[in-house]
Order: sequence, then C-alpha cells, then structure tokens
Amino acid sequence: MKPVNSEAGPLNRLNESVESAWTRIQGKVNLQGGVKRMLVLLVVAFVIFAALKPSVFLSGTNLRNIALNSPEIGVIAIAMMLAMLTGGIDLSLVAMANLAAITMSTIYTAVAAGNPALAEQTFPLIVLAGIAVGVAGGFVNGLLISVVGITPILATLGTMQVFNGIAVAWTGGKTLNGTPAVLSAIGASTLGGIPTLFFVFVLLAIAIGVVINRTPLGLRIQLQGANPTAARYSGIASRKTLMSTYVITGLLSGFAGVFFIARNPTASADYGASYVLLVIVIAVLGGTNPNGGFATVLGVVLATLTLQIVSSGFTALRLSSYQYAIAQGLILVAAMAFEHVRWRRRRRLTKPAVQPS
Amino acid sequence: MSGGRLDTSARLRTLRGPNNEGILAVVLLALIVAMSVANPVFFTLPTAFSILRSSIVPLIFALGVLTVIISGGIDVSFAAIAVFAAYTTVRALETGMPDFGLVGAFVVALLIGASLGAVNGFLIAKFRLPTLIVTLGTQGIFKGVLLTYVGSRYIADLPESMAQISTTNLFEVETSSGSAYLHVLVVPAVLLALGLAWVLRSTMFGRSVYAIGGDAEAARRAGIRVFRTQLSVYVIAGTMAAVGGMIYVIMGRSASPQILVGSELDIIAAVVLGGASIFGGRGSVLGTTLGVLLVQVIYNSLILAGVPSAWQRTAVGVLLLVGVGIQAVASRRAAPASILEEAPQKQEVAA
Repeated sequence: MKPVNSEAGPLNRLNESVESAWTRIQGKVNLQGGVKRMLVLLVVAFVIFAALKPSVFLSGTNLRNIALNSPEIGVIAIAMMLAMLTGGIDLSLVAMANLAAITMSTIYTAVAAGNPALAEQTFPLIVLAGIAVGVAGGFVNGLLISVVGITPILATLGTMQVFNGIAVAWTGGKTLNGTPAVLSAIGASTLGGIPTLFFVFVLLAIAIGVVINRTPLGLRIQLQGANPTAARYSGIASRKTLMSTYVITGLLSGFAGVFFIARNPTASADYGASYVLLVIVIAVLGGTNPNGGFATVLGVVLATLTLQIVSSGFTALRLSSYQYAIAQGLILVAAMAFEHVRWRRRRRLTKPAVQPS
Repeated sequence: MSGGRLDTSARLRTLRGPNNEGILAVVLLALIVAMSVANPVFFTLPTAFSILRSSIVPLIFALGVLTVIISGGIDVSFAAIAVFAAYTTVRALETGMPDFGLVGAFVVALLIGASLGAVNGFLIAKFRLPTLIVTLGTQGIFKGVLLTYVGSRYIADLPESMAQISTTNLFEVETSSGSAYLHVLVVPAVLLALGLAWVLRSTMFGRSVYAIGGDAEAARRAGIRVFRTQLSVYVIAGTMAAVGGMIYVIMGRSASPQILVGSELDIIAAVVLGGASIFGGRGSVLGTTLGVLLVQVIYNSLILAGVPSAWQRTAVGVLLLVGVGIQAVASRRAAPASILEEAPQKQEVAA
C-alpha cells in the first residue's frame, strides 16, 4: 500500500496543478468567448438590418444617432452591471439620473433668470451639482443596503419611488426646459464624425473597467458577489465594499443625467421610463451573472451597441416601440436560458475532475 | 408570579403572530385613531366603505404576489397579465365573441391569465432563472404583444354582462354624512383571500410552496415536486392577476391597455409590509390583507390631509423602506453572535 501512496502523491499533485492551470485557461478563454459572442451578435445584428433596409439604416444620421443614444443607456447599464457584480441590483438608477438632470436644469434656470452670463460661466459647477445629486442618491442606497441591511432589490425599489416622487413633486409633473449652452454644444459636437459624448462614455467605461480589474476595490467587489461568505472570511469589509459600489452606481447615474440634458435641453421626472428593463437586458446580454461575481465592461459596452442597433433597425423597418419591447423581453429571456444551459453543460463536463482522488 | 409572567409573554407572542401580524394590526389601528382625531371626516362609514372598495383590486393582486413571494420568487409582471387578460376579453366580446354572460367573460380572462402565468412558471422552473429578471422580461413581452396585436384603443363602454355588475352594491347604509355603499365585488375578494389562506395552510400544495421558498434543494430531496409546484404557483399568480384585472375594468367601467401601469410597487410593498419574506418561506394571507389595508388607509389619509398626490409615490417608497428597514434591523439584533449571521443580508436577487 505504502509505495503506491508515495508514488500517487506527486502524481496527484501534478494532476492537480495541471487541472488548476487548465481551469484557469478555460476561464480566460470563456471570458474572451463571452466577449467574442457579443461581437458576433453585434456584427450579425448590424448586417441583418443593413441588408433589410440599407437606405435608412446605413445613412450617416442613423449611425450617428446610434452613437448618440448609446452613452446615456450604456452608462446606466454599466452601473447596473456593477450592482449585479456584487449580487445585488439597482432599480433606482434611472430615477437618480432624472433627479440629477432636474437639479441641473433648475439651478441653471434660476441663475440664468438673474444673470444669463453667470449661468453660462458656472456650468462646470452646475454639472458637478448634478453629479453630486447622483452620488448622494447612491449614498442613500448604500446606507440602506450595507448599514441597515435591506435587500438591494427592496431598498432600490423603495428609493426608486422616493426619488421619482421627489422629482414629480418638484417639477409638478411638467418638463423643465433649460441647459447651459456649452453643455448643449458639447452634446451636439462631434470629433472626427463621432459624437463627443460617445468618447466621454468610452472613457467612463475604461475607468470602470480599470477599477474592476486593476484595483483592490474591484477585487473586493468581484469576490463579494462571487461568494459573500468566503469574502467575509478572507477579511473583506463587505459593508464598505457595498457602500462603495452603490456610491459608484449613483455617480454613474449622475453622469447619465448630464448626458440626458446635454443631448436634450429638457428634464422631466418620467424620462426614460423604459430604461429600467433595457439596462437589465443589456447587462445580462453582456455576460453579467445576475447572481454576482462575473461581468465584463467590454461585454456590456458591446451589448449596449447591439441593442441600439436593434432599436434603430426596428425604427428603420417602421416597427413600433411596442415591438421593440417584445424584442427586449425575448432577448433577455433567451440570453438567460442560453447562459443557463451552457453553464449546466459545462458543469456536467467538469464533474469528473472534482471527484475525490 | 413567574408563571403568570410567562403566560403573558406567551400570550403576547401569540398575539404578535408568526409574521408580526399583530404589530401591523396595532400600527393600522393607531393610524386610524390618529386620523380620526385629526380629521373627524375620516371616521365615517362612507370612508370605511370607500377604503374597502379601493382595496379590492390591490388585495387580489397581493394574494397572487404573496404566493410567488412565499415560494421564494418575485413577480413584477402581474399588472401586465391583468391588463392583457381583461383588455383581450373585453375586446373579444366587443368584436363578436358570443356573450356567455359574466361567467363566460371571467372564464376567458382566467384562461388567458393562467396561460400567461404558465409562461412565467415554465421559464422560471425549467431554467431556474432569477424570477425578477424573467418577469421583467415577460412583462415587456406581454405589454408589447397586447399593444401590437390586440389593440391600443380605449374602450369606453363594456359589454352588457360586465357593465351590469359595476353598479351593483352589496348593501347601502344611510348615515348622517350621506349614504354609504359597499360594492358587491368585495365578496369575491374576501372569498379568494379565505380560499388562498386555506390552501396555503392546510393542503399539501400549500405546504410545498412554503418548503420550496424555505430551501428549494431541501424540498427537492424531501420528495416535493419542485417543477410542478413552481409552475402552479405562477399559474395561480397569473389567474389572480386576471381576476384583479377584470374587477378593475368592471369597477372602472372602461378598458384601456394603459391601465395599472406602475401599480406593481404598491402591491409588492403591501405584501412585504405584511410580513412576507422576500427570500421566501414566510408570509400569510392575514398579514398581506393588513398590509394592503395599511397602504390604502395611508393613501386616503394623505388625500384628506391635503398632501399633493405627487408625494404619494414617495410616501409608499418611504413606508416600504421603513417597514423592511425595521425588519432587517430586528432580525439582525435577534442573532448577533455568529459571524455568519452578521452578514448584512443575503446578497442574491431573490431567485
């Protein structure tokens, strides 16, 4: 018995190290596989609509519109992805973005009534105020979730209503009008034919990607979502991690609010009501695991573009927004069912590997 | 002495109820007393009947949502199912479907509701997907299909059979402040509540729902057919939604595909305030009924107090946060010792 054991020892160890290296490689390939799948979907969607209605779909205006619509939705989708990465969800994102937009519009109108020139000069401060509203909203969410201990879904469902109610009461249900001219100019400007806002969006996406993949906070966020118990036992302060996550999602909502009024000089309480479903679709389609732990910013950015292509393709084909809602729902359910089937098959394949030696 | 004290504490615990129903009842009573003192108009029979009347539809929705929440899920598509079932039925009757009276209309609506619920249930039970996300998706699909393929027109007059019951009252009472009417459709709401309470408490199916909500894997190993039970839960939720939708349309005496938008939160808030746990396995019909009444009384109080209706959403949001906040803090204080229990919360989208 003994010699067999001593020989099996090193062999087992070798086996284990090969196995672990193999899973690591598999993980990397799968990660790239997810992004690759998104790229394929993006190209397929583009080709289909380009083939069906080239005259409208391939026009410069349409392509620019895709790039112009993506930033606000993409930023909220990335925020949703962050919340899902910790295993939570944030339903209050759109409400926070609207509140930020309303704040900026109100401040601008108030200052401009006394001194229009001053209102233009202070536009960076106004933008900061809007972003601060987003951060404050995120802080409230973080407080409720990490300190009070309310489940993210209920906490953000509640704050969504609170933020939305404040916005409705504040505006009286009317649409506010007024944006700093500089902001509108930035919203309308292009760099090399591509809207400036799109570059801002890409920069934000890269920043969040760096935070997730290259900082201790990002690692904590991922671990918190992958396995909260393990995270706690490895000394991660889950309260702090959750608080930071929801403050960041609030910050991103603030940016979304800036995008709202940069594109359109109006702000209202019920703008983007359909975005809540849309950003969840985008996050899940982009490979985010709603149970936490796994997500890529690149996947979410590609999913945003894909859905914008589908949306403008539907418009080009003269399909209604209701039909687009059907498509969103079908994509969401199909993406999740596909992900589940794939996950189950993978687990079945790797099962022999975890048998005790 | 000590025996007496033990007795009182045991009795207090019974009064409190397994899901804090007692506390909720006290809060509700306190609110009613406070409102009556502040504004005598509140404490009249017409007000009571109008609160009951406005509670009918939310209560029926809440019963469906309660079943889903006990099974460990969440359903945000019930409003879409309700509108789909009711509007499609009215539209079918209007465009020449033979009118088999009120019962016929209800049968059609319930069949539609049950099939849409079955879609939810199949997707959730078969692929074991997060329920919030599935129902968000199907909500979009149901709404889209309704508006694209069934119709988007406002229908001002209902078919004869349905219109008739909309003005029928169970009884009316003459009081000093005018006559008070109790709408006849209170009866089905009460019957459904009693029926569901019996099913959840005393049938094999009801206990299976609690078991699945407590721990699906344990339930599976104990021999409970998880797939079949989960499917039935969503079929029940869809059917309840259809009943609620029909009653809403009948009481409003018109049908439009745009009704009931945004009412989801009020219902979920009422169910959660009623002591149901969002993680499943806990909840009662009594608690849910009290929760629904509490939300309706607060709405009514806000209107009487002259608060602009814009603040109502905020009020329900705050109410939900305060209610769940207290529950969260209390449950943490109950088990402070272990490191594991110190976890802020289960970090899952209630799946």
